Formats: sequence, C-alpha cells, structure tokens
Amino acid sequence: MTKRISSKIARGSGELAILSLLAEEPAYGFEIAKQIGERTGGALKFTLASLYPLLYEMEKKGWVEGRWQTNSAGRDRRYYRLTSAGRKQLAPLREEWRAFFHALDSLAGVSHA
Amino acid sequence: MPEWKKVVREQMTALNLPPGATEDIIAELAEHLAEAYEAARARGLTHTAACNRAMQEVDDWYVLAKEIRRAKAEEEFTNSRSKRLWIPTMVSLLGASLAMRLMQLIGVRPDPAWTAPLVVSFYWPWLAVLPIFGALGAYLSRRSGGPLKFRLVAGTAPVLWLFLLSSASEPIDLAVNGLSQLRYYAYGMADLVLIPGAALLVGALPFLFDSNGQDSPRSRT
Repeated sequence: MTKRISSKIARGSGELAILSLLAEEPAYGFEIAKQIGERTGGALKFTLASLYPLLYEMEKKGWVEGRWQTNSAGRDRRYYRLTSAGRKQLAPLREEWRAFFHALDSLAGVSHA
Repeated sequence: MPEWKKVVREQMTALNLPPGATEDIIAELAEHLAEAYEAARARGLTHTAACNRAMQEVDDWYVLAKEIRRAKAEEEFTNSRSKRLWIPTMVSLLGASLAMRLMQLIGVRPDPAWTAPLVVSFYWPWLAVLPIFGALGAYLSRRSGGPLKFRLVAGTAPVLWLFLLSSASEPIDLAVNGLSQLRYYAYGMADLVLIPGAALLVGALPFLFDSNGQDSPRSRT
C-alpha cells in the first residue's frame, strides 16, 4: 500500500503534479484531484481545500487558464488548460524536483523511483 | 441532492471578492462538492454519509476563503474587469476609429446609400472591416471569461460610443430646432449606429457564446 504523503510536501509538489497532468489534456478541478490520487496510488491526495487555492494561484501566474464549459449532460465545469507560460514552467520544475530528490538521496539515502 | 451552491455561499462569507469573481468561485466549488457527493453515492454510501464525505473536502471554510482571497485578490481586484471588459472595449473602439481615420487618409469617401428624402452615406470599406473589430472585442472578452453583456459591449463599443454622443446632443438640437429634427436624428442613428452596429454584431456573434453555446455560469447567476 502506498503511504500517504504529508500535506506540506504534497502542497509543495502540487504545482508540478497539476502542470504534468494538464500537459496531457485539459481537466476540471474534481478530475484533476481524482487523477492525481489514482495515478499516485493515493499518495498524493488533493481535497477541494488544497486544490483550488493552488489552481487560482497558478492561474494568476498565467501558468493555467480556466474556462467554463458545459458537457452533454448540461453540467457546467471549469476546465483548466496549460498555457504556453505553464508549459515553459514544467521543464525547470521537473529539473528542480530531480535535483531535490538527488540531494535528499545523497544526504539521507532517499531514492526516487 | 443538497443545494451545494447554497452550502458554499453560506460558508464563504469571508471571501470578500467582487460579485462576479465570487459567483464563479462558488459555482466551481459547488460543482466539486456535487461530484464528490455523487462519487460517494456511486460507491454505495447513503445520502447522509455521502454529504458528510463531500463536506470532508474542507476542514476549515474560513481558512479556505482566506486562501482563495489571497490567491485571487490581486488579479481580481485590479485586472479582472479590465481584462474582461475595458481592454476588449478599447481594442474594438480604437481599432474601428483607426480604420476609419486610415481610410479617410487614403482618400476613401462616403457613398450615398439612398438620397431621398435625405441623403444617407456610408463608408462602405469601413463597414466591410467592422466585423473584424466586433469579433476582436467579443473574442478578447470571452477569452478572459467575460459574461455575455461584457462581450456584447466590447463587440459593439464603437457604435455604443457614437450612440451616446448622438443621444447626448439630441435634446439640445430638438430644443433649438424643434421636433422636425427627429427625422434627421433617426437617419443619423441608422447611418452612425444601426448599420455599423449590425456589421459589428455580425463579427461578434460567434464569440458571444462559448463553443458549446453557453455563456459563463457566472452571468446566469
């Protein structure tokens, strides 16, 4: 069973998780949280309270753009897509986290998958 | 199913953002709670248990409202209305004005559309390019999440401005020259407002609604 990552670490890595997910395709808030939870085996878990402040912050930075769309069932959802600024941000963020894991591995024998 | 919008609205009293932004956030958070509730129901939870499960998405509503306000505030207070209304409005207004000026400079002259009982002339090339500026204004407003009324204003800004100017001067004209001037006013409206307005609307029309035919939920609340 995957161990749940503490909310402080999850929040720090949230930007990378969301950008990586949206790099594949646009998604709405609940779907983003669900996908991240499923793909990390529940280790990273976003709730409404942890997800939206982060999404709005990223929107303010211009990394993602939210837009209302109505699906065939008549349901309004705000879909987020990656902007070109967000796409540019993804590579350095990935690199930053790689360097972080590498440093942690050297120090404490914490190896990343 | 609970009225999630009502639930969120009651909890987010500390949000304190402009009404448009607040309604958007409430709609989005309510939709998230509705999906969490439905997912819990699909897993076999009772109505009450599913409601509780959805409400567990937020530990402290006050903290959430504060965090959202912090994340949104700067953008919403300073930029949102500008991006959704004023900038698109200025773009279409300036674009249409510059196009007219440019055409006058290169020697384009108005051609009469009809001559009796009054001469009404149009800058036909200007009318032909107006849909571009209508489209541009409405598109920029839509791209920034502007509701229908903002898109409409941004798309038709050049004639709204002319309408305001004409309407402001008309009472003085009527007072000085009498009611007979109403006929000239009507022709002026057709010349300066109605026909160019129709041209702008033709361009703006594809951008008045989202691709799925809907306006932003914010403007429907």
